[in-house]
Amino acid sequence: MNGINLIEDFDKFKYGMELLLKPPEFSVGTTPSEVVFSEDKMKLIHYIPTVEKPHPVPILIVYALVNRYYILDLQPDKSVIKKLLDEGFDVYVIDWGYPSGADRYLTLDDYVNGYLNNAADKIRDLSGLDKLTLLGVCQGGTFAVMYAAQHPEKVKNLVTLVAPVDFDTDKGILNLWSKSLDVDKIVDYYGIVPGDFLNSAFLLLDPFRLMIDKYVGMFDRIECNPDDITCQLRNEDYIKNFLRMEKWIFDSPDQAGETFRQFMKDCYQKNLLIKNELMLNGKKVNLKNINMPLLNVMAEFDHLVHNDSSKPLSGAVSSTDKETLVFPTGHIGIFVGSKSQKEVCPKISAWLKPRSLINGKAEEKTGSANEERPGSAKGKSEEKTGSANEEKHESVKGKKAKTKKDESRSKVNKI
Amino acid sequence: MWLKVYNATAGRLVEMPALGPAREKSEKTMKGFSTFVNLYAAGMESNSNFQSVFMEAMRRVKEKTGSEMEGEITPEKCKDFYKIWIETYSETFKEFLKSGHFASDMGKLNSHLMDFQKYNREMLEENYLKPMNLPTKTEIDEINKELYSLKKTVKELTSQIKELKEKK
Repeated sequence: MNGINLIEDFDKFKYGMELLLKPPEFSVGTTPSEVVFSEDKMKLIHYIPTVEKPHPVPILIVYALVNRYYILDLQPDKSVIKKLLDEGFDVYVIDWGYPSGADRYLTLDDYVNGYLNNAADKIRDLSGLDKLTLLGVCQGGTFAVMYAAQHPEKVKNLVTLVAPVDFDTDKGILNLWSKSLDVDKIVDYYGIVPGDFLNSAFLLLDPFRLMIDKYVGMFDRIECNPDDITCQLRNEDYIKNFLRMEKWIFDSPDQAGETFRQFMKDCYQKNLLIKNELMLNGKKVNLKNINMPLLNVMAEFDHLVHNDSSKPLSGAVSSTDKETLVFPTGHIGIFVGSKSQKEVCPKISAWLKPRSLINGKAEEKTGSANEERPGSAKGKSEEKTGSANEEKHESVKGKKAKTKKDESRSKVNKI
Repeated sequence: MWLKVYNATAGRLVEMPALGPAREKSEKTMKGFSTFVNLYAAGMESNSNFQSVFMEAMRRVKEKTGSEMEGEITPEKCKDFYKIWIETYSETFKEFLKSGHFASDMGKLNSHLMDFQKYNREMLEENYLKPMNLPTKTEIDEINKELYSLKKTVKELTSQIKELKEKK
């Protein structure tokens, strides 16, 4: 029996190595798209709609600078973007590109009021609408919040996914570490902060799991049955999925030094954003200017952006139509985990659909998108907080509160 | 402890002002020695802390496995041991990495590393690149800054021209 187990384990390793020695071809970000605008290294990508008449208000997805946006389109069956397209949305994504030496002086203002603003203007031109939906992810969510605060007239809906806004928490390891970091010395030396420098910090969050156990697990999941073609295909698919994720994890663009300096010092160390004291382009970023519908989405087991860092957004804005969703998953699992396609995307779509119309009609594309605010009945303000498992719907006046437990609470989906 | 001894003895010699025609160069070289010593000290401290965590993790593994691992070594035992080992090491290190102590140590180490790297680069520029008339990082940064500023101005002007055209 023991001998058999040993042979099985060795076979798993052998088959795994065989698969890696003739590396399977795999691709990421395969959803059909076109570049509709570019400025320096930034590209604005438009995804080809999959429905005949998409919801009029377009969505602009803003991803973080530290990793690549294609985690949202990793593979066809794990693609947030494809899901949004299939739900009838018109989707755009900003690809920040890979900064090089010439970009070391780019500031946070250049990203938010420069690239992001120009991309938003281009979409407004293309759609013929005054406003768009901003969907910010992780650090991109923080950028989206800054943008919405400085340009509320251009944002119809704001959706933030695992986005930090309050950095004064010791519950997140990154928050703790960043307080002891001499950011000036790092930026002054590197100029362009290497992506690998940041990646080594991410790996250090759980070194044994991320540098040993992950790879042991990869071989362990190989099914050994060389005569069974379907089993071989499963193995190959599994390895492909693993390699896609591996590619994304280590595809870390370098960081424009001045942006990194300001983000680390003003946000992580001084926590200026939530205090409405952050300065961009000589103007204060006042979160109270955010008055559009807000959906704040979090991952309960987020090891990079603790919920305490994202939750305060709802209280800091002046939006009356706002909702918070917490899903029992992790920071990456929220995009590629099993819950992503089944729960996260459908909930976001359901929230966005009635808010992506013009004058209550899906067909018309003329006129200002701000003329219609679905779900905001006159004189009635409401705030929703809840999670995938628990939804709380309460009026701002606090008179009535109703809690509903979703039976479909699933187990932790950590990646 | 050894750093205190160093600072009180050899360190004083290194920090002593240089004299003579080559004083500028020799002072810079000596300064580099202090930078290295600071990095070495921070590295040793960090290393020693990591060693303690390794020891603690190992102690916990031994406590958890106890007598179970005695006798004949079987594949199942190896798997069980691996599971206990990875869980224990992961948890023990996470405890340490979450501590303010680690954050402060890492901050110091990183700061000394940046000082040391910066010093090395300055020496490389001073002693090799400049004499060979090759561009230095400092010079390239100056050009990049100028380029950034020019691009920004061009963008602003383009935007103003566009606005004026639209008004017409």
